[in-house]
Amino acid sequence: MSLLPYAVAAWLFGVGLYGIATSRNYIHLIGCLSVCQSATYVLLLGIGYRFDAIAPIFYDHPPGTPAVDPVMQALVLTDIVVGATLTALLLVLALQVYKRTGTLDPERLRPMRGTRAPGPRPRSTDRPPTKRAAPPAARS
Amino acid sequence: MTVLLNLLFLMIAATGASVVLIREPRRQVFAIALNGLVLTLLFTALQAPDVALSELAVGTAAVPLLFMIVLSAVRTAEPGQDTQSGEDA
Amino acid sequence: MSPRLRLCVLALAALVLLPCAASAIGALPEFGGRIAAYGAAINAIAPAERHVANMVSAINFDIRGLDTIGEEFMLLAAVTGTVVLLRGSRGEGTTDRAVRLPGRAAPRRSDLVVLACRVAGPLTALFGLYVVLHATVTPGGGFQGGVILSSATLLIYLGDGYAAWRDSIRSHWLDGMEGGGALLFVLCGLAPMLVGGAFLENLLPLGRFRDLFSGGLMLIENLGVAAAVTGGFTQLVLEFMEETREPDQPDDPDGATP
Repeated sequence: MSLLPYAVAAWLFGVGLYGIATSRNYIHLIGCLSVCQSATYVLLLGIGYRFDAIAPIFYDHPPGTPAVDPVMQALVLTDIVVGATLTALLLVLALQVYKRTGTLDPERLRPMRGTRAPGPRPRSTDRPPTKRAAPPAARS
Repeated sequence: MTVLLNLLFLMIAATGASVVLIREPRRQVFAIALNGLVLTLLFTALQAPDVALSELAVGTAAVPLLFMIVLSAVRTAEPGQDTQSGEDA
Repeated sequence: MSPRLRLCVLALAALVLLPCAASAIGALPEFGGRIAAYGAAINAIAPAERHVANMVSAINFDIRGLDTIGEEFMLLAAVTGTVVLLRGSRGEGTTDRAVRLPGRAAPRRSDLVVLACRVAGPLTALFGLYVVLHATVTPGGGFQGGVILSSATLLIYLGDGYAAWRDSIRSHWLDGMEGGGALLFVLCGLAPMLVGGAFLENLLPLGRFRDLFSGGLMLIENLGVAAAVTGGFTQLVLEFMEETREPDQPDDPDGATP
């Protein structure tokens, strides 16, 4: 029993990593990354827990009552909120990739060689090699 | 209490795997929200009400909402319809 | 790298890492046994020392306040990066149509939904404020309350539509809240130095234990965090939704835009 929380944390991290390695869609990949994140929450709160203890809030119980570890909770609390904004940043990057290349599939992305820097370029007359590889097939 | 905790840990393992194994992003959003809800229950059982409140607001509401909006944006935006496409054409 | 090769690399990494993970798990303290000395010491000392009941807030805003400033600026940087990426590709300008797929009929909002959202919105905002203000007494604080407050503004969108939501929310207010919240936290750290204290030293009167106004400087820092999180999350949702709006007029010269 006592190993189950840590085993679950390791399982979550491993399964998230498997999803990241095999994902064919960037949005799905970001979801897998959030599973990896939740592994750290489970691990930290598992370390900080002890049986028959109260939450570290001494409102109903007098100070001195055995309580669980507040340091781990403080770590996880801020991590959840900041992690959500990082998820948002990654989602925006995925959206930009889709707008530029027409696909969300990491396998279909070509290396970015020979692409022009974005932005107005009045002097250029030659068109870059088209890099929008087969957009209709990409939209599944 | 131990039984409840064990059950919640196993549910976390299952919902986490479902987030990974559901490959269709539109369905995955619901798995993410469910995973957030089970995490909230687990944190409550682990005597972490602060964290549970945070996870409830972020994991079951805000993050799935962002995923859904992005999925909607992906379907709205035709590929290559960004501001650069005007000068290319 | 082909998918098959990548899976092989992953399996190889798992083979190497699994024994390490197993030994690390074996060396961890037994689940539910005892907690680390630092946390136990905080639980024992902080209620009398800082007059606050919520130990998590005491750590976030006082004992490890410097770390929270770091978190705060990570939040600021992530939100700023998102907004810059989105706005840069879109330009300014607003519309009342968003989060709607072209060619799909949107059913009219029923009166019940409008009423429920109008009732629930202010109540949610009130609950968010309650959670923010009682940071040092009961579970809650700027991080959680901020997210609840920003979801309260979303109820305006659910009930009254995108145009009403855009009308009631000003983007530059959100920018101000977000940056101002982070600034307030840093000023809370710098102000004690003016009177000879240390950075983030809690020099304000600590108040009574279990009182709303307990914790001194923590309450102000908490307000800063709440403003930053509210502004940041609302800004995120706003920019994301702007991204889904239909273009007002086709900006392609060849008229390829549907």
